[in-house]
Amino acid sequence: MVDGATAGLFLDAAGAKAVGASIAIAFTGLASAIAEKDIGTAAIGAMAENEGLFGKGLILTVIPETIVIFGLVVALLINSA
Amino acid sequence: MSRPKQMTRAVIVGHKSILKETIDSLHDTNLFHVEDFVEDESGFKISKPFKNAEEVSKKLVKIRSIANYLGIESKKPVVQKSDAVLRELDSKLNELDRTISAKTESISQLENELKDMDTQKKEILPYLSIDLDFDYFRGYENIKVFAGILKSNLETSQISSITQAYELYFDPQSKAVVLFVANNDADKVYELLQSLGFKELRVPERGGVPSELLRSIEQREADVTRRVESLKGEIESLKTKYTDFILASDEVLSIESQKAELPLRIATSENAFIIDGWTPTESYDRLVSVVNNATNGKAYITSLEVREEEEEDAPVEYNNSNAVAPMQQIMDLYSRPKYFEIDPSSAIFITFPLIYGMILGDIGYALILGSIALAIKKAIKSDAVSDMMNILIYCQIWTIFFGLIYGEFLGFPLASTHEEQGLLPFWHTVTLFNSIGGEEFTFPIHRAHMVMSMIVLSVVVGLIHLNLGYLFGFSNIAREHGMKHALLEKGSWMIIELGVLIAAVGYFGGSALMYIGAVVLVLGIVMLAMGEGIAGIVELPSLMGNALSYARIIAVGLSSIYIASTVNNIAFDMIWADHSKIGFAAIAAIIVFILGHALNTVLSIIAPGLHALRLQYVEFFGKFYEGGGRKFNPFGYIRKYTEE
Repeated sequence: MVDGATAGLFLDAAGAKAVGASIAIAFTGLASAIAEKDIGTAAIGAMAENEGLFGKGLILTVIPETIVIFGLVVALLINSA
Repeated sequence: MSRPKQMTRAVIVGHKSILKETIDSLHDTNLFHVEDFVEDESGFKISKPFKNAEEVSKKLVKIRSIANYLGIESKKPVVQKSDAVLRELDSKLNELDRTISAKTESISQLENELKDMDTQKKEILPYLSIDLDFDYFRGYENIKVFAGILKSNLETSQISSITQAYELYFDPQSKAVVLFVANNDADKVYELLQSLGFKELRVPERGGVPSELLRSIEQREADVTRRVESLKGEIESLKTKYTDFILASDEVLSIESQKAELPLRIATSENAFIIDGWTPTESYDRLVSVVNNATNGKAYITSLEVREEEEEDAPVEYNNSNAVAPMQQIMDLYSRPKYFEIDPSSAIFITFPLIYGMILGDIGYALILGSIALAIKKAIKSDAVSDMMNILIYCQIWTIFFGLIYGEFLGFPLASTHEEQGLLPFWHTVTLFNSIGGEEFTFPIHRAHMVMSMIVLSVVVGLIHLNLGYLFGFSNIAREHGMKHALLEKGSWMIIELGVLIAAVGYFGGSALMYIGAVVLVLGIVMLAMGEGIAGIVELPSLMGNALSYARIIAVGLSSIYIASTVNNIAFDMIWADHSKIGFAAIAAIIVFILGHALNTVLSIIAPGLHALRLQYVEFFGKFYEGGGRKFNPFGYIRKYTEE
């Protein structure tokens, strides 16, 4: 049985912070990737029809990148807290 | 901020007898964007192309097919007189066509011959090891000849058990067999051969010993190949001889065909024509005088009063200085501005390279990329490439600027800190003040040591950029729908930001300012709701998202620094730890250093470039830009290879 007191042996405060920061980055990164995958495929499909859509396709593809930037900001906030 | 060039809608009317002169002069000026006429109830019809149109397009097709066959590429132009080209065109084109078709015909004949000889060779090859004259294979009444290939070995005993009257030639290596037997025994022998996997081969019809035949065929083959090569060489020399002619005549004929086909795009009645279109207002007078000169004043030109909804469709021509012009590529990649809109080229002329530089901020990479861009620009003379390279050079100028502020050279710090020695011994880091998050704000800015301060700084830069966008949007809407709309739709956002700012100052200062800020904030939100309705309220959180999105400036920058300093660490601290010895370790370290930085240099174009571009397209343009303008495409031709 693992109780609250022994859990501290595995993870001290700095370790918990590092794990928290890594979770923030990892999951937002995954989320961005999944979202961009779908949009990017569609954008390439559209570009095959009409080359002129490159600019718009690029914009739509990079929109979800904001998610991982949020993750990064959160990770840095956790780290410096 | 520039707007697209102002356009005037002009109409040219005249008698059909002066149509040709009018079209010629319009084409020469290259200033008039012709609006295609659509047939309607008015009784006007589109006209027929000029008589020479068919002939011109025939020649054009011919010259382009020749150019395509010869693989002619555009090159440094040798300018020729266009009338001289036209005069010689027919005779030269015919001559060229004749010689080329004669040569290609003989080449294809010779190539057919080569194919024939190849099949002949294949027929002879199996008999090579037996080397018996082919005439001996036929013309017998009582002898049957088996010629072919076996799958397994044939022993003489196997045949002699059937008959003594035989003559056998067998090559155990290729398993080719030629066997002469009397007709009486033929069936039995055939059975035997069948059991050994006999496959009959055709005996070549010509007589002669295989080895000699093969030799003569090979000789002829070499001869024919030589002739094909020499013909191809002649065609190649035709190419060098006629390249200038082909390029020039392609141009002249394209011009002629454009002129000849214009009547298909204009309105005509039985005796008159109307050409409708747009010209930049600044060039209108020139257009009038040129057309009048060409037609002795017989054509009537007038500018039309343009209704507002018509003006929406006016073609759009950029109105930028030469320095800003390369940025039009970035604009076109997104979408050309509408006629009414602000053209943000001059804004992104500053903001795009600035944000790029702020992300990369490394003197070493800036110097490498800058020199590569200069070299490519020198080597490739193409407008599109040179525009791209100019943009890259603008970016590198800002990168050097920020490189000085950050004090970075290929990931090495230039200035020394408490912990480490910088590249420049005389440059020491100075602490300016204590920043947020327990960080010290220093000069040069060590980005990796003051992440929180840099995030705040990036977001502040972002807010300035966003507000520039709101200002543009304000100006666009004020011009189109009036001041009130502009204030409600775009001004409200700025008031909201102001409210948040005052409230924040009040919160940290602990004063009543906080309540004033809250009031301003609510006022802004109410205005926004009036301006854009519920959609505006829903959009509110995106303001924070947009501003935070600028945190990528430091985020992407850090990733570049970490790659660079990792490369430096591996090369100099791990592999070549003992710097005094020059040996295998030193060479390995240098290779790692060069490859690592080459990789990071490539990434330094892609990552900061894409992210800086995205900040323009999504965050900045989202605040004001519509796009979707029509390209101003004047009737005319930019001559490269000919002149009047």
